[in-house]
Amino acid sequence: MSFLQPWMLAALPIAALPVIIHLINQRRYQTLDWGAMQFLLSANQMSRGFRRLRQWLIMAMRVLAIAGLLFAVSRPLASGWLGLTAGGQADTTIVLLDRSPSMQQRTAGVSKLDAARRQLVDTLQTLGSKRWVLIDSATLKPQEISSPAALLDAPQTTGVSASADVPAMLGVVHDYIKANNPGRTEVWIASDLRENDWQPEDGRWGSLRSAILEFPQEVRFHLLTYASDASAAQPNLAVRVTDARREPSGGGSDLVLSLEVTRDSAPPGRPGRPDAPAKIALPLRLEIDGAPSVMNIELTNVGFELKDHRVPLAAGATRGWGRVSLPADSNPADDQAFFVYDEPVVRRTLVVTDAPDRARAVRLAASISPSPAVSSAAETATPDALGAVAWETLALVVWQAPLPTGDAAQRLRELVDRGGQVIFLPPAAPTGASFAGVRWQAWQEPAEPLTPDNWRSDQDLLVKTESGASLPVGRWKVSRYCTLSGELNTLATLPGGAPLVGRAVTDHGGVYFIATTTEPRDSTLASDGVVLYAALRRVIDAGAQRLGDTRNEPAGQPFAASPEPWRRTAGDDSPAAAEALSTDYCFYQGVYEGGDKLAAVNRTLAEGRTDTVPAARVDRLFEGLAFDRVAGVVGDGAGLLREVWRLFLGAMIVALVTEAALCLPRIAAPVAEKPQTVPIGRRAERPVEAAV
Amino acid sequence: MPTQQPPRSFLEPAVLARLAGVPLFARKPMQGGVSGKHRSPHRGSSVEFAEYRKYVPGDDLRRLHWRALARTGRRYVKEFEADTNLRCCLVVDTSGSMRFGPAGGGLSKIEYARRLAGTLGYLAIQQGDAVGLTCVADGIVQDIPPRRNPAHLAHLFDTLEKVVPVGPTHLVDVLHQLAETVRQRALIIVISDLFADPALLRECFEHLRFRHHDLAAFHLLEQQELDFQFRRPTRFVDMEGGTSILAEPTEIASRYQKALAEYLEGLRTAVLETGVDYHRVRIDEPYEQTLMKFLVRRTQQRSGR
Repeated sequence: MSFLQPWMLAALPIAALPVIIHLINQRRYQTLDWGAMQFLLSANQMSRGFRRLRQWLIMAMRVLAIAGLLFAVSRPLASGWLGLTAGGQADTTIVLLDRSPSMQQRTAGVSKLDAARRQLVDTLQTLGSKRWVLIDSATLKPQEISSPAALLDAPQTTGVSASADVPAMLGVVHDYIKANNPGRTEVWIASDLRENDWQPEDGRWGSLRSAILEFPQEVRFHLLTYASDASAAQPNLAVRVTDARREPSGGGSDLVLSLEVTRDSAPPGRPGRPDAPAKIALPLRLEIDGAPSVMNIELTNVGFELKDHRVPLAAGATRGWGRVSLPADSNPADDQAFFVYDEPVVRRTLVVTDAPDRARAVRLAASISPSPAVSSAAETATPDALGAVAWETLALVVWQAPLPTGDAAQRLRELVDRGGQVIFLPPAAPTGASFAGVRWQAWQEPAEPLTPDNWRSDQDLLVKTESGASLPVGRWKVSRYCTLSGELNTLATLPGGAPLVGRAVTDHGGVYFIATTTEPRDSTLASDGVVLYAALRRVIDAGAQRLGDTRNEPAGQPFAASPEPWRRTAGDDSPAAAEALSTDYCFYQGVYEGGDKLAAVNRTLAEGRTDTVPAARVDRLFEGLAFDRVAGVVGDGAGLLREVWRLFLGAMIVALVTEAALCLPRIAAPVAEKPQTVPIGRRAERPVEAAV
Repeated sequence: MPTQQPPRSFLEPAVLARLAGVPLFARKPMQGGVSGKHRSPHRGSSVEFAEYRKYVPGDDLRRLHWRALARTGRRYVKEFEADTNLRCCLVVDTSGSMRFGPAGGGLSKIEYARRLAGTLGYLAIQQGDAVGLTCVADGIVQDIPPRRNPAHLAHLFDTLEKVVPVGPTHLVDVLHQLAETVRQRALIIVISDLFADPALLRECFEHLRFRHHDLAAFHLLEQQELDFQFRRPTRFVDMEGGTSILAEPTEIASRYQKALAEYLEGLRTAVLETGVDYHRVRIDEPYEQTLMKFLVRRTQQRSGR
């Protein structure tokens, strides 16, 4: 039981008033000398048992009546969680809305997002607040709204294709509180607890927790969770284009398309859910440059994968767009995938070094093309001769020289902001310069070559291969390394904790530091070239995505600057996507055209993972904070909170009526006339009248 | 009333003068020592014919009914009622509960009892009857045997004046005791609140009846005792020294009334079955009226015999 006005409960001791009055009354008795004690004693004896119980019942009813009234004016809420026991109207209520595609999963025609909005509106209107702030997962901008009802029609509350970044959203909350210094703040998070949205392993959680705990004002978190119950969820299919490229074929060209259709796991025999059939035949709709075609596919339990499916392109078609779509199911947000194709761009790498011979291995590894259709190029330059470099064509810069300053540093920062990649290798003589907050310190030469004892194989540079095999990082021997200082995410460490590979914290692109070089006297990075080649290919892939005029973008990445405004070529049929502002195109899947640039926006790869963060893990994330959680139910139409003051008012009335009934005097026989002097004798002429 | 007598608070000359015209009669034959107004169980020489009986040797020949002898040839003796005086024993309850009186002032039970007893004593002495006084509390507090001389009346009044109501009531035991100790037939007038078990009272009434005493009872009750209309919580202190009770009168009023009604009904049954001349008296009534009813009713019963 929670209350909207719990301070009223401070008046609960008033419920003891009947008892106190009774006790005072008992103290205020009059003393009377009495002769007819035998009747009093008899009456007192008769007042045992039920009569005494009746007295206590009357007292209890009076106490209950007052308590019922107090509870009623405290505005109790019928909810299954105790999060509002602090109660009262918040000064500021911040709503964090997860708009990611997984929140668009429907049950009985209602999506999680719609249910969350409706239930939030009902709940927040009941609770009240002086100020309402919306932070949505797409824009990550705090926007003040006039009332909770705005959640129903604000464009920033509709579903998007971009994943949510809950730690980033909480970071915005932190910044907002810090900047505005509101009073008591309530933070409502509506999310389905997907792991890729919550990133429970992210280091930001700890720092956010500490920072929020330091706030002088009270900040309470309420999680409205729509983590789907697999037993209740409808089967859902998702389609994703893994590769779309144009390849010459004979006299013309083909579109080489790879895609996969996944289906959420449906363990057979789960109660409450019909067993999913082992195989599903369904039509797959393919649309290329507006020309549709349909192919029937057969989906097994593990899904369906189409690899390098060739579709002949019209003569002269060098670039274009396409769409793959499935029949509508419980989540329309993952039933379409868009792609654009173009002639592949040259993946250029620039190696900046004082001594080109020292970086030869890097240049060679960077110039190897991953496939015949893709051309790679690598060139070398000294730090002094960067004037003629076409920076906008570069996917990667490997910098093996003292850290850049001035114009060179500015150029590198611009490249990184565009999404380009930079790898810094230690110079022969480190200077005091820094880049992205990181600087080289001094070379170390251990007595024996060291091998990395810890590295991140789950993400970034040293991630496992697509086949699931780990890179042979453990065979990498480091004879000399240069220590680093500054804030960076360590991807590999040497024994003793010295960082070997790290990534600086940047908003876009990637800035990597490798603490050793490819020279044989420093490490075996060149002789055991697998790690070097794989790492370089990954960063070049990432950098090359930002090159050229056609790009397949993950939703949420802002579009590159374009001389002409971006226009929507194809996309969702949903009203929200159709009416989206051009500045928000990057959040909605589809194909967009801006001048000579073409971009396909799709949900991120991680959005396909259906793992949710366990409740215990969520509790640990909010450990130490005022936090509670309530499970939102999609489609039941019920609000999260219901005021139940009527129940208490009813109880009060019942108590009062019962008390009145108990207090009713017994209906006595009509009182006889007052006894007069009555003689009674053997021959009494009239009977003696009743005494009372 | 002798003029040298100091004025008594419980005697009103005007009331005495008005009641003096109504005689105090016994309902039963009395055994007195001298001639008086009351019937005797023995045959005497009054003018009131009693019966004929056969002559037995030794009878006074002056009582032989000559006319019956002349008509029938049989010898009958004509007998007449004997008139005698009575012994009046006033039994006054002087237990603590007799202190009770109206809240707003007025006569307490003991003061009312003094008036009744004093007036009755005066009237009885005036008509030549012997009057005694027994004050009862946890036993016999005062016991003045019946006498006829007016000087005895002063002693009786002094005793009434000085008696202090205190202690518990052992009326039943005292009445049993009186039934045994008052040897001759007497008029026993009990003035009390009769707060005792009706069954026990009935036993002692039967005892007195068995001893041929004429028992009259003035049952003194106060209006508060009958109504029991208190609003505030009240600590009732037993006037007879028992335990006190803290009670919510509104809560126990109905049960009090029930207990009182049961008691009064039991007492009514007891007095009807034992032939007690019972008078339930509310002490806010004028005592003169109470006594007038008492005397007149006895006169009517005598004339109707």
